Amino acid sequence: MVWSWIPGNAAVIRQYTLDNALLGIVPALLGLVISVPLGIACVRWRWLYPPVLSTASVLYALPSLALFIVLIPYTGLSDTTVIIPLTLFSLCVLVPNVVDGLRSVPEPVRQAATAMGFGTLRRLVRVELPIAVPLVIAGLRVAVVSSISLASVGQLIGVYSLGYFFIDGYQRDFPTEIFVGLVLIIALALVCDLLLVIARRLLTPWRETRRRREIPRVMVAGAPRAAGA
Amino acid sequence: MITFEGVTKRYPDGTIAVDDLDLEIAAGQTMVLVGPSGCGKTTSLRMINRLTDPTSGRVLLDGRDIQESNPDVLRRGIGYVIQQAGLFPHRTIEDNIATVPLLIGWGKGKSRGRARELMDLVGLEPGLARRYPYQLSGGQQQRVGVARALAADPPVLLMDEPFSAVDPIVRASLQDELIRLQADLHKTVVLVTHDVEEAIKVGDKVAIFRPGGRLAQLDSPERLLGAPSDAYVENFLGFDRGIRRLSFLAASGLALDDTPVAAQDAPASGALRAAAQSGEAWVLIMDAERKPRGWAAADELESLPAGARAGDARLIPYGHTFGVSTDSLRAALDATVLSPTGHAVGVDDAGRVVGVTSYERLRTAIQAAGQAPRPGRAREAAAR
Repeated sequence: MVWSWIPGNAAVIRQYTLDNALLGIVPALLGLVISVPLGIACVRWRWLYPPVLSTASVLYALPSLALFIVLIPYTGLSDTTVIIPLTLFSLCVLVPNVVDGLRSVPEPVRQAATAMGFGTLRRLVRVELPIAVPLVIAGLRVAVVSSISLASVGQLIGVYSLGYFFIDGYQRDFPTEIFVGLVLIIALALVCDLLLVIARRLLTPWRETRRRREIPRVMVAGAPRAAGA
Repeated sequence: MITFEGVTKRYPDGTIAVDDLDLEIAAGQTMVLVGPSGCGKTTSLRMINRLTDPTSGRVLLDGRDIQESNPDVLRRGIGYVIQQAGLFPHRTIEDNIATVPLLIGWGKGKSRGRARELMDLVGLEPGLARRYPYQLSGGQQQRVGVARALAADPPVLLMDEPFSAVDPIVRASLQDELIRLQADLHKTVVLVTHDVEEAIKVGDKVAIFRPGGRLAQLDSPERLLGAPSDAYVENFLGFDRGIRRLSFLAASGLALDDTPVAAQDAPASGALRAAAQSGEAWVLIMDAERKPRGWAAADELESLPAGARAGDARLIPYGHTFGVSTDSLRAALDATVLSPTGHAVGVDDAGRVVGVTSYERLRTAIQAAGQAPRPGRAREAAAR
């Protein structure tokens, strides 16, 4: 371990970390943009779900490197060549989570919304999607973390990411570089995951959390009223 | 007013949920649809706000065929309460209640103000306004459900098994609350239940359905209990309908005996004379305000030394009293059966003794009532 290598290359390290973060986050977000309407369609038309799910699984099974190579003639050696396959991979977790999220809306809730005069679209936007948020974010967490780690493969076709340190470190037989790349990828994944957890907490304060301490207190406060009133 | 005209609902597989139903639900009335599962009661209810459309026949709301109205607009004018409350888990209690006002454009401030009003109306503490549904008990959630249905002050309220998911004690209190609310609000309420007790308790009119989606009998609870139209209805009502029917007969029809009573400060000898005069072995001793204190046995009074007061006797608890002008004959009978002396105490609104019952007097009152049913109903639960 050559510690002095780190401050000496701080600018490059910072740059590739940012590149890698982008290659992780952008595909997950694009995947979200695609999977929400796709998931809604799969819930609306049940027959659509099995073929969509199989297609997503097949895409996920394709080796990333093979997809990069297939795309090079069209998109060149650009970020896009990495982003497209990673986006397709993310669908494999995001679509099922969107579908499960929408299906997690309890039937009485759906019925109550309809009976109060919510049209289909309004019910979707105001009731069903908000209730699906926890599961969608759970899918997003997996998508972001796997995209961050897969992005490094893009280095093989010259799209810069933390993967650069693996290749360069190997070629120069310089383990420090490999180690730094590895630690940063893990750190990046953890940070993104944590941000998503925080986002979920903020977006879904209505969700029963594991902070059990709060719940009994509330129940006790409410109980006499419910029984006595 | 809601009118069903020859309404039939037939599903594609041939099942008939509702068969040629004619039903009129008067404005301001509570109509309960009751029957075993699969009798079409819920389907009928859901045809009122077009969650289900009839295969044939018409449903009219105030004379207008609801088939001609936009379902979303129609629904915003009809409150709907369902079994598990169906609250929006992602919205606070006040926002849940404010749902329809927000939907019809009252604006946030006014809608939330209205939500607070309704929380008060249904007996929810204001502190719960910012809570989320998961933080409330089942009974509280159901109150929120009722408040939400009433938020935009719809003239019609549909309730689909509203209280069946809560425990019996909470259920009874929610039923009482509904009766109390309805006495103030005079909504047209249509309530579906499989619980005939609930139907009898809350309904102004009860429609009993039989399997296959046909109406078996439509009547007031009192008439149902008194004159079931056939064996099915009689069986459905349960074995003790004779006793339950007494709930609809006012205790004021009972001639009370005011002789075996004595003030505690009266001489014991006077109390003894009162007992002898009425032919009873007991005298009810009252305090200075004529509130009951307990029963004194005639033997006991006799054994007291000369000059003793009636209140000096050892007293036996008088048990439950019943309100002469507020309770039913059933309450009077119940109090009598439970009383250790076989006599129950009838009191006025201020709790002062009016007189005491006996089995003989109850029998006379019940017989008289059987011959000439009294209009109007004394609701036991509401009066307690």
